[in-house]
Amino acid sequence: MISEEEQRQITRVCAQATILLLQHGAESALAETVCRRLGLALGLEVVEVVLVANGITLTTICRGRGCTTVRRNSDRGINMHVVTEVQRALLRVEAGQFDLDGFSGRLAEIQPLRYNRLLVAVMVGLSCAAFARLGQLAHGQALEWGTLGWAFAGSGVAMLLRQTLAHRGFNPLVNFALAAFVATSIAAQGVLHGWVGNPRLAMAASVLLLVPGYPLINAVSDMVKGYVNTGLSRAGTALLLLLASCGGIVLAMTVWNTWTWL
Amino acid sequence: MNTFLLLLQDALVAAVPAVGFAMIFNVPAGALKYCAMAGALGHALRLGLHQFGGMPLEWATLLAAGVVSMVGIQWAQTWRAHPKVFTVAAVIPMIPGVHAFTALLAVVEIDRTGYTPELFAKMMENGLRAFFIVAALAVGLALPGLLIYRRRPVV
Repeated sequence: MISEEEQRQITRVCAQATILLLQHGAESALAETVCRRLGLALGLEVVEVVLVANGITLTTICRGRGCTTVRRNSDRGINMHVVTEVQRALLRVEAGQFDLDGFSGRLAEIQPLRYNRLLVAVMVGLSCAAFARLGQLAHGQALEWGTLGWAFAGSGVAMLLRQTLAHRGFNPLVNFALAAFVATSIAAQGVLHGWVGNPRLAMAASVLLLVPGYPLINAVSDMVKGYVNTGLSRAGTALLLLLASCGGIVLAMTVWNTWTWL
Repeated sequence: MNTFLLLLQDALVAAVPAVGFAMIFNVPAGALKYCAMAGALGHALRLGLHQFGGMPLEWATLLAAGVVSMVGIQWAQTWRAHPKVFTVAAVIPMIPGVHAFTALLAVVEIDRTGYTPELFAKMMENGLRAFFIVAALAVGLALPGLLIYRRRPVV
């Protein structure tokens, strides 16, 4: 038999789990399902959750008693480790291994995984060089290291800058514009000195780390699954980030006078 | 270059950005190998369907993303995590980033140097292609859920 106080605690922990998922980049369908499954597994009768662009409203019903709560959602950056941990904790509740205290204790223990910054920057540099190589392959061009090397340098440095600015709490739009400026400026040096075989490919590949791929895919899948309002908000955010990066690219091409892109 | 070697090289190269972006998304270390394998499979499959199968790029993307999602669901069930944890990183190599930026730069260029039919065409063609490929990726990833796992959760 669930008391009123227990119902309130379960509602609170459902809201907490849902917000954790939304803050770390889970799609709306997943956040809503986890919330409902968690509430039902902990013994509630009805769990209704409404997602809006920057918050959630949650109502639970148990023996005719309702309990409603609202939480604000702020973006903490995509972190699939947190999403995985919340989902696994839910699976353990459903398997009967966790009760309410076990679950909330597990949530409190989750420390978001962060890879070493330098390692990520090197991997992102390699990724953008790989994008340049994929471009060469798709157009049947021979392997040319100059393009790959300058794409690596531009994107690696831009990634370091992006992490530093994010850590210092800069607005993502400012962050992306500055990172795009730096990436394009570095790639432009290779173009200006004639060290790059395919200037357009090198400049394009060096800013591909700034394409908001996850928000774009989440935007479409939210809308496909019926969450049009969160989907539109994600699409708007992604478009703004793309525009901010575009501003940085244009500024760099103006400064270095390298209009090789179009 | 012979077809097999081309596809193999494409697969190996595509695995790199899948892992690189998986690290930006903080995918747990144990799942990075799934990102790499699914990324390689998806991108090479798309290249094969598009260049050798004669399929339009958008449809090839849809099919490749659907296959990545099916494979991802199998791994998700053994690894006990939502499939999107690795499938989104795996389709990152197929994201039309260059098309998206080219479309936006064409908009800026129209503003800067004035309207020309060529610039307008560039904006529309690249913008539409980016839009349809992103839609194909997202719908492709959702396909198993839409067709098979309609009323039950995957994990």
